[in-house]
Amino acid sequence: MSDDLSTEQTEQTDTSSVSTDPTLTDQSAANAAARRKRRILISAATAVVVLAAAGGIAAWAANEPASSPSNAAPETTLTVALQLFPENLDIRSTAGAALDQTLIDNVYQPLVSRDPRGKILPSVAKSWTVSQDALTYTFALAPDAAFSNGDPLTAADVVWSITEVTAKQYHDYQALASVGSVTASDEHTVVVKLKQPDPTLLYNLAGRVGLVFDQKATNDRKSTAIGSGPFQVSSFKPGATLTLTRNPKYRGDPAQVGTVVFKLFSDTNAIVNAVQAGTVDVASIDPNLRSQVQNNTGYDLVTGFASDKFTLAFNNRVAPFTDLRVRQAIRYAIDHAAIVKAVGGGKTLSGPIVESDPGYQDLSGLYPYDPAKARQLLAEAGHGNGLELTLRIASFYGSTVTDLLTSQLAQVGIKLTVKAEEFATWLKDVYTNHDYQLSIVDHAEARDFYNWANPKYYFGYDNQQVQQLYQQATTAASEAEYASLLQQAARIVAQDAAADWLYNPTPTIAVRKGVTGVPTDSTSSRLDLTDAKISK
Amino acid sequence: MVRFLVRRLALLVLGVLGASMVIFLVLRVLPGDVAQLIGGTKATPEQVARVRANLGLDRSLPGQYFDWLGGLLRLDLGRSLLTNQTVSSALAERFGVTVPLTVLAFVVTALVALPLGIYSGLRHDRRTGVVISFVSQAMAAVPVLWTGLLLIVVFGRGVGLLGVLPSNGFPDAGWAEPLAAFEALLLPALTIGIIEGVVLLRFVRSAVLEALAQDYVRAAAARGLTRTGALLRHGLPNVGLSLLSVSALQIAALVTGAVVVESLFNLPGIGRMLVGDVGSRDLTKVQGEVLFLTTVVLVIGTLVDVAHRLADPRQKVEAS
Repeated sequence: MSDDLSTEQTEQTDTSSVSTDPTLTDQSAANAAARRKRRILISAATAVVVLAAAGGIAAWAANEPASSPSNAAPETTLTVALQLFPENLDIRSTAGAALDQTLIDNVYQPLVSRDPRGKILPSVAKSWTVSQDALTYTFALAPDAAFSNGDPLTAADVVWSITEVTAKQYHDYQALASVGSVTASDEHTVVVKLKQPDPTLLYNLAGRVGLVFDQKATNDRKSTAIGSGPFQVSSFKPGATLTLTRNPKYRGDPAQVGTVVFKLFSDTNAIVNAVQAGTVDVASIDPNLRSQVQNNTGYDLVTGFASDKFTLAFNNRVAPFTDLRVRQAIRYAIDHAAIVKAVGGGKTLSGPIVESDPGYQDLSGLYPYDPAKARQLLAEAGHGNGLELTLRIASFYGSTVTDLLTSQLAQVGIKLTVKAEEFATWLKDVYTNHDYQLSIVDHAEARDFYNWANPKYYFGYDNQQVQQLYQQATTAASEAEYASLLQQAARIVAQDAAADWLYNPTPTIAVRKGVTGVPTDSTSSRLDLTDAKISK
Repeated sequence: MVRFLVRRLALLVLGVLGASMVIFLVLRVLPGDVAQLIGGTKATPEQVARVRANLGLDRSLPGQYFDWLGGLLRLDLGRSLLTNQTVSSALAERFGVTVPLTVLAFVVTALVALPLGIYSGLRHDRRTGVVISFVSQAMAAVPVLWTGLLLIVVFGRGVGLLGVLPSNGFPDAGWAEPLAAFEALLLPALTIGIIEGVVLLRFVRSAVLEALAQDYVRAAAARGLTRTGALLRHGLPNVGLSLLSVSALQIAALVTGAVVVESLFNLPGIGRMLVGDVGSRDLTKVQGEVLFLTTVVLVIGTLVDVAHRLADPRQKVEAS
């Protein structure tokens, strides 16, 4: 059985190392070179042993294995700690931000890319034009683009990749609802025609639905990956490590580090321990454990922003949440400042849109912390003698927030029972079957307001005005109009107390001194490591 | 003897078959499935149904079971629903952690149980013997998890009071760094070994007491052997066989201990993989892994039975 795995791995390395025209002479030359290198390595090793004291020799030996043609600097490995890990590498079908984080921009490239604030950047397409009526997008592809297996990346690959998303209902395919047709007008030009204007099209194409795959590749996409990015997957050990190495076929400036290792840690404490021990280069730190890392002079602590919205979801379809007063009472009863303090870092959030997304406005004036008002509203709603509610939450979120929430709600007469359960159970009961009263979920994705316009979503929030505004927004002719319509819709959702938005965390990342070029914003959803560099 | 072997083998096969059925059914009771997990919090019910069909999870339960069983007969444990990796290769990858961990834990168990058990048996009427017996009784009630946390607090490098041993993870290079790998397994092995050791200690102690009460041990002592000498030369060989059976049962406890301890110490072994796979509802993988572990325990049990039979002439008489 273990043969199967090794064959897969060999195949994978084969495909990635085969040059465009492999000939026998090349092969034997390569073998000879390898033998030579091995001999050199052995003698180098001997030299190091004999002359260990001589620093110059050691430096020479360290430089020796550099085989990269572009620079003679020693190869470096960047180790990144992850707490959520890709379940597999099939980014077209499998959910999970860890896939976007590790693979997009690094291994797979979207047609266009984006920065954490949503600014659209060139990627596979080096430039693009939009017609006057905003219905036709023409993308000019980088002419020398190629996949890591050597296949050239052509317009046909782009057309195939994007049309497959809708045809096969891949992850997030709804994001392409406005697309009428995708065609190749020549080998390096792709034309996307829309049914109606879509101010979010480029943003969406910069995500999963815009990823470009090799139409001719036949690799197993669950365990291997062939993309056009600066890195290629060299090994994937489920539940342990994902190793990327520099893609020699990459058309742009080569990646600065030779290898990236994403390593799974079981919990936030384990990550902090790894930083203490100095075994990782980049790690996201639980803000509450900051103090443990602060004194470690080997690391810099940097903060950025994230689009995570920790949301206290109400099941709007069932009693008592069908009563606006109950929903309002809960919003009044929550002291958001105390929650932010308890989680150790972040911002209060009073509506469904975060500051870095279009449509944001400060809605904190709507439901300030006011327990007296909450009690009064509950009494009016007929719950003056108390109300018992159950909150179902996936166990990996921990209990800091739920403990605090339980005591805050108790003060207004709501007895909260917290049921922490496995994510799979939560997915089935709460998310799929809507069998819940309250839940807490980190809605981590940026620009996800559409959930409030979808009455079938687990929020069960059904407001036609919001749905209409959202519909208008998504077909708006300009980004500005899109943002202003979203703003209106978001205000209604917040006023309606369709949920309570607990907080927006501020991610803290420990970066080893000497490591540069690591992004600091929205790192749990995208982590482009092209420019990451280790100087020591 | 041949009839005995055939009967034991048939029992083994029946045991594995029964286990396969129980494992399969119990896993189907778990709420949620891998298709929902793959779809995540953005998937429509149609998308989830599509994934389910692609993975063959929409087939009838008996159909799925017999497919799996058919694979087992060809010694094929199946493939992961998530990664498409074969279960056997996933197991093989993790062997290097769990097998040494279990062996090491067993060594610790023996090192705790044998000397202390014999000593406290010999001194059963003295203060030291009573203290050992009492402490072991109390410690046998301590959960493995708690022992592990305690050991980390005292010995864990970077976190513990003494901070002498690593308590988090396994070297990336694995056994290519033998010293680091061995060090990484020490605290986990101690965790399981101490708890299992005190359990076994009590069996050793009562075996010693039983042996000491035998006439031939007393006779040997009367002939001038020391009590310890009589016990070791004549007593233990006669009662030791029952200890062999108990140790076989303990293998099962060691395996379950490994599941807990690997998660606690962040070791990339079979136990932690199993916990993760249950969480992600990768059922074909979980059932393959659990069945494999069950089979290992059953096979060891059978081997011990056979060894018992070979070593103990009394059983031959009873059986024929």
